[in-house]
Amino acid sequence: MHDRFYEAAEKGRKLLESADCEFAEIRFSAGTGTIISLSGENVDSLSSGETVAGSVRVLKNGSWGFTTFNDVSSLERYFKSALTAASAVSPEEKSGVALSGPVTAEFRTESREPINNISIDEKFELIKGYNKILGSSPKIQTTRAIYRDVESRYHYMNSEGSSLTYDKMHCGISLTSVAKDGNIIQPFHESVSGYGGYEIARGRDELAEKVAKIAVDMLSAEPLEGGTYDVILDPRLSGVFIHEAFGHLSEADFIHENPRMKEQMALGREFGPAGFNVIDDGSMKGLSGYIPFDDEGVYPRKTYLIKDGILTGRLHSRETAHKMGEEVTGNGRAIGVSRQPIVRMTNTYIDNGTCSREDLFTSLDDGLYAVDVIGGQTNLEMFTFTAGYGYRIKNGRPGKMFRDVILSGNVFNTLKSIRMIGNDMEMFGGLGGCGKGGQSPLPVSYGGPHILVGNVLIGGRK
Amino acid sequence: MDKILESIPGKFKWFDAVYVKGRSTPVSFRNNRFHSLSESENSGFGVRINRDSRTGFSYTNDSQRVEGAVQRAYSMAPYGDPENFTLPSDTQLKFEPYDPAIESFSVKDEIEAAEEFISSMQKEFPGISMDMGISASNGVMRLVNSEGVDLSYRDSYYSVSVSCVLVMDDGVRIDTWEGKSGLCPVDYSEFREKLSDKIRRAQIQEKISTGSYPVILPPQAFGRLAGIIASGLNGVSVWKGVSPFVGKTGEKLFSDSFTLADDPLFEGSPYRIPFDAEGVNVSRKELVSKGVLRGVITDLKYAERLGTEPTGNASRGYSSLPSPSFTAVTVEPGNMSFKDMIAGVERGIVAEQFIGLGQSNTLTGDFSANLDLAYLVENGEVKGRVKDCMMSGNIIDLLGGEVHFSSERERKGSAVMPYAIFPAVSITA
Repeated sequence: MHDRFYEAAEKGRKLLESADCEFAEIRFSAGTGTIISLSGENVDSLSSGETVAGSVRVLKNGSWGFTTFNDVSSLERYFKSALTAASAVSPEEKSGVALSGPVTAEFRTESREPINNISIDEKFELIKGYNKILGSSPKIQTTRAIYRDVESRYHYMNSEGSSLTYDKMHCGISLTSVAKDGNIIQPFHESVSGYGGYEIARGRDELAEKVAKIAVDMLSAEPLEGGTYDVILDPRLSGVFIHEAFGHLSEADFIHENPRMKEQMALGREFGPAGFNVIDDGSMKGLSGYIPFDDEGVYPRKTYLIKDGILTGRLHSRETAHKMGEEVTGNGRAIGVSRQPIVRMTNTYIDNGTCSREDLFTSLDDGLYAVDVIGGQTNLEMFTFTAGYGYRIKNGRPGKMFRDVILSGNVFNTLKSIRMIGNDMEMFGGLGGCGKGGQSPLPVSYGGPHILVGNVLIGGRK
Repeated sequence: MDKILESIPGKFKWFDAVYVKGRSTPVSFRNNRFHSLSESENSGFGVRINRDSRTGFSYTNDSQRVEGAVQRAYSMAPYGDPENFTLPSDTQLKFEPYDPAIESFSVKDEIEAAEEFISSMQKEFPGISMDMGISASNGVMRLVNSEGVDLSYRDSYYSVSVSCVLVMDDGVRIDTWEGKSGLCPVDYSEFREKLSDKIRRAQIQEKISTGSYPVILPPQAFGRLAGIIASGLNGVSVWKGVSPFVGKTGEKLFSDSFTLADDPLFEGSPYRIPFDAEGVNVSRKELVSKGVLRGVITDLKYAERLGTEPTGNASRGYSSLPSPSFTAVTVEPGNMSFKDMIAGVERGIVAEQFIGLGQSNTLTGDFSANLDLAYLVENGEVKGRVKDCMMSGNIIDLLGGEVHFSSERERKGSAVMPYAIFPAVSITA
């Protein structure tokens, strides 16, 4: 397969050199992957397969043509049809791109234990071991343990003369226990993944034990009553909080052609308290949101979105950067070569503050400690995010455990309600990811320290 | 077929393989203007082989490497669970989910129509920002098995989606959308009035306080909650014991007015299929009839495990093993019109869109979501928008209590749903 891949890349280079358009890029990927999915006593699926894909994107006369295919030997034909597609319309209002100069480099995931060297047997036994732990209590009804790895070669080329390759290795596990007691069915789930080898999946017995324990503990937790609460978010939840409550809002494709949104998101606007910093950084190696270059051939960088409470930056693709006259940030990303890049986050986090975890708890007389995460969503004005579970806090001490903790707020106001920022930042990512514009899941990571947020709306029955 | 047979390196009990090929042409408008035209051509091959009663699976989308996939599937078989079902040999191809009118799809005409649509909306709402996606696709699905089945059918699909965003001076955002699909290009001019009406009303803000209110769910919103019920009606979750409906077949769990079916033959839907992904012939099946639980959906594997007949609900892409899934969830209509439903409400809510629905413990039917777009109903009339509040409840309990359905139904994607009204749902503001 690789021979044909190199051949196609050679052809691609020539096509790009002679292309009659403002900008063109070719992306190829070829990879193999293994999935082992166990559930209770059963093997849900065990498969390994391979995929090859290519795409061409062309900007001509201000409009985009895009073709995707898996027959890479016919690249010329697809390149031509992308040019034709871009020429189909000559729009009044035109798209443009910010150019960033040609770059040539080769990247490779560093791994201690390359996936290739590990037999299917070994992977199977590893995940079987976790699955056994996940089902270790009689109260556990069923389990799900998934192992997944992907190894692929990605080649990016564009008409600026860039040529970037990335030999990528991604590995992870996803662990779920579902506890049951009468009519109560309570799942709990954790996942870890990242760029690297088998070492990411190995040695996770403790995680599996935690998943099983919490699922069982949650059987006796009660649903939380709806209302407004002062809430301490753990690092994982503070990461999801910043991803939903602010991260999406800083994606420039929601802003660049909407005058009202531009006003709302004017740099310099106060968004949070002093000492509050939010960063997106695609260059953090190993994390799920790490990219050596984005899907438009731009290197990632550390972008301060909020600095000391003030809006200072946003995330760009080539198109949005051009439109807004700002610098590219390396956030043009796609879930695969057969999708067009759009503005996406990478590794997004709240930076450390000055308070210790204890300071946060001592200052909370009556509130909630919300822990772990199920998911989150935003419509760019309001957002929700769901904690795995929570504890009622009285006089700084955690008490009763609650489940069904679904928090909600307004993107423009909630950040101002952040009262204290801890100093114990951690980053998280799993086999899942972020969804936008029909592209899901995109690997991202998120994180932060413990934070204390006042007056958060939590849904629930009385 | 011969190529697969030749490539299998040893003895086997059965095999089946799917080959899919598709071509689509999506046209995309962003922020009120034409943005891109795409063309996509993709294909793939997936094969599973049962050897000593255990099944292995592999796939490739490289047409020159089919042999390798077959060999991989064979070598993976010993890891699989014991499976003793047999593959069908009587698969029938009664129709193709294909309409030749898909060939009339014209990029130029679609772009002109979309531009016209956008400018007519802009006339009424000058600050509006609209995205549109219009796509036509057609493909071929071929299923081959060791029992002599070798059938293929063409499919066609057209879809249009329109999404509108209006940001007000105070940062309040109105974000709403409509979508439609068919076997060939369809007229979507009615979106104009539907979207305008929603946006017009949303500009008026109403207040609501925490409490329990009558809630009306339009087809799309109700479909999302009915989806929680549907996932409990999947043979997989019943087998695993995590469905709230385990062991309750034959029991009356819901209101008399609630009948839920899977209808792979729903007239006019582009989601119709002649047979499922394992070659099992399909038909409409009621899973809940007048509130009584009748059964769950299965593929061959889960039918064997549960000791029932396969329902023809196997679904698979080329890169995955078959698993049971709904082809088209349908809920039977009631006898009240939507208009009458509204007219009977003194003070309540019409909930159109949610944020965060499905991120609760849906295994037990619980939900809790922010009301992304909802309207106050007062004295039988739909008024302005209510926001910054959450709706919570348990959909199994709600459907077990008093509920009424409208006589009108709409197909949203594959689901066919009426409007539903529940007399008391919890709102936190």
